[in-house]
Amino acid sequence: MAHDFDVEFIERGDRKARFLVRGLTPAIANGIRRAMIADVPTLSIDSVRFVENSSVMFDEMIALRLGLVPLTTSLDDFEEGDEVTLALDVEGPATAYSGDMVSSVEYVQPADENIPIIELKEGQHLEFEADAVLDSGKSHAKHQGGVAVGYRHLQKVEVVGDTPEFDDGEPNILRGVIETEDGELIHTDEFGNDLTQQFPGKEVEVSDVPGAFVFHVETDGSFTVEELVLRAVESLGLRAAELEEKVSV
Amino acid sequence: MMIPVRCFTCGNVIAEHWEEFKSRAREGDEDPGKVLDELGVERHCCRRMMVSHKDLVDVVSPYQ
Repeated sequence: MAHDFDVEFIERGDRKARFLVRGLTPAIANGIRRAMIADVPTLSIDSVRFVENSSVMFDEMIALRLGLVPLTTSLDDFEEGDEVTLALDVEGPATAYSGDMVSSVEYVQPADENIPIIELKEGQHLEFEADAVLDSGKSHAKHQGGVAVGYRHLQKVEVVGDTPEFDDGEPNILRGVIETEDGELIHTDEFGNDLTQQFPGKEVEVSDVPGAFVFHVETDGSFTVEELVLRAVESLGLRAAELEEKVSV
Repeated sequence: MMIPVRCFTCGNVIAEHWEEFKSRAREGDEDPGKVLDELGVERHCCRRMMVSHKDLVDVVSPYQ
């Protein structure tokens, strides 16, 4: 790499994070965003063998719901195309939850256990075996690890003077993360997205900081945000290396 | 029929919060907006999934 990027976290959680990256071009920022959505593979149920389904939903409808349940995916242990089997057997009256599924691999489990699959009435029975497959978001949206992934420019807010004496006091709405003159990073949610609240009585000027992007990343629970971002960047690097190799001949 | 597993627009998993939302805001008397805030359902695309949902399993089940 020609130079390093400067990464700073603004908000950090397992499934949701906001971080600032300096030294990016818009093309690379968008490349990372797209890699997070389409290139990082996750496990998701792809085919279901029904033993019995006497619920009010058709097999296909239940299979669709199962496909959308996120499964914890440890990317070190699987390659694209690998399969894991999960099974479920619930008799009514009860609700079949995603957490009722029994996995053949201990560390592959539904990321959320409270997702209702189907409500079963007296005498109804649901039993199936399902195969989860590791694939990328390119082939089906259920394999997307990233949810609501996006970025914005970092915005610099400078105080240029005082507001005129007879100012009408209109709010000055701004969204995203701002950088103050002291270099402090503040998300606009913290002051109601209104600059007149943060800088009362001051005239401010807002400008985009070149090459600084604030990413907002959420995952569906398959893995942590950290894993998602690192894998996305890795896949981008691998593709660039592949292109270099093919062109150099 | 059942609550969709994910939000149609953004793909966030919302079904896990449905039963709590139902018991507190639909059957209980709490303010739906506050319940959704507490559950962490922030975006209005995900919120409309919960607010506009109707369970139909009880309606359909006699006609098997």
